[in-house]
Amino acid sequence: MEDLWLSDTNNELTKDIQQVFVSTSALQSRVRELGQEISRDYRGKNPLLVGALKGMIFFMADLLRTITIPVEVDFIAVSSYTNEARDRGVVRVTKDLDLPITGRHVIFVEDVVDTGLTLNYLVNSLRARQPGSLEVCVLFNKATRRLIDLPIRYKGFDLPDYFVVGYGLDHHERYRNLPYVGILKPEVLFTRNG
Amino acid sequence: MSTPYNHKIPVFIHPIEQAFARILDFYGVAWEYEPRAFPLRWDKDGNIIEAFRPDFYLPQQNLYVELTTLRPKLTLRKNRKLKRVKELYPDINIKLFKRRELRNMMLRFGMAEEAERIFGTEAQEEWE
Repeated sequence: MEDLWLSDTNNELTKDIQQVFVSTSALQSRVRELGQEISRDYRGKNPLLVGALKGMIFFMADLLRTITIPVEVDFIAVSSYTNEARDRGVVRVTKDLDLPITGRHVIFVEDVVDTGLTLNYLVNSLRARQPGSLEVCVLFNKATRRLIDLPIRYKGFDLPDYFVVGYGLDHHERYRNLPYVGILKPEVLFTRNG
Repeated sequence: MSTPYNHKIPVFIHPIEQAFARILDFYGVAWEYEPRAFPLRWDKDGNIIEAFRPDFYLPQQNLYVELTTLRPKLTLRKNRKLKRVKELYPDINIKLFKRRELRNMMLRFGMAEEAERIFGTEAQEEWE
């Protein structure tokens, strides 16, 4: 699919991409494998997949459609480290789960883990609600920046520390809708929205 | 800077250290600033003539963190010190955040100005 995008000279997103890093087909293939693993591991357990908005939306949507057992899905959101949020002091849940998770088999689905700070906060928040089990499923793992190590049961790709966008990953809220993961051109890195 | 841990706010040597501390505070991760020096070399009388003091210690993770905004070509001395620390203190966990890693971290946390201060507008380095 990225070929179609990259050959479109009018595409306003791809012109900012230096290089495709993970192709659409590679994403689809790996997500399918993860879905198969989850289907096998959670047969008869009716797991609840919990995603942290917004980066995992594409991953969650694709993952759900590769899972062949009954599952439920819910979403949570936390304040990101923006100027406004940091002035208020600490991270907060801005959209809580709609479903109770006590006693449930929960799979926490995240697009990327790098420092582990956000993941740690969310996992602790979920663990406090006493799920029956809690595992982590991450599509992209950037271990070079890890500060807090948490066990990751399902992992898609290890990524080096390059600033990548697409398939949910953003830069100033842009590029999430790229169907592949690409490295941003350097001149775009420090530009602001507008 | 507000902090959930009632730190006595230290005087940071570099602005990036303050930015890093604020990120840790935001996510409720306890930290200490330069709490310990690791002796690396001694003279013939046993006096310490070289030591390494990591920027941060995260007690909950038992992890020391060193930040550097130096260009890769200029990090030889720091790399040598880190290597020596690992030789002398093999049970110590130390993580070095290099220039590009810091820049990308700042960008991911929406801190474009801090990132730009680290890096200017240089190209993303070649990836191997």
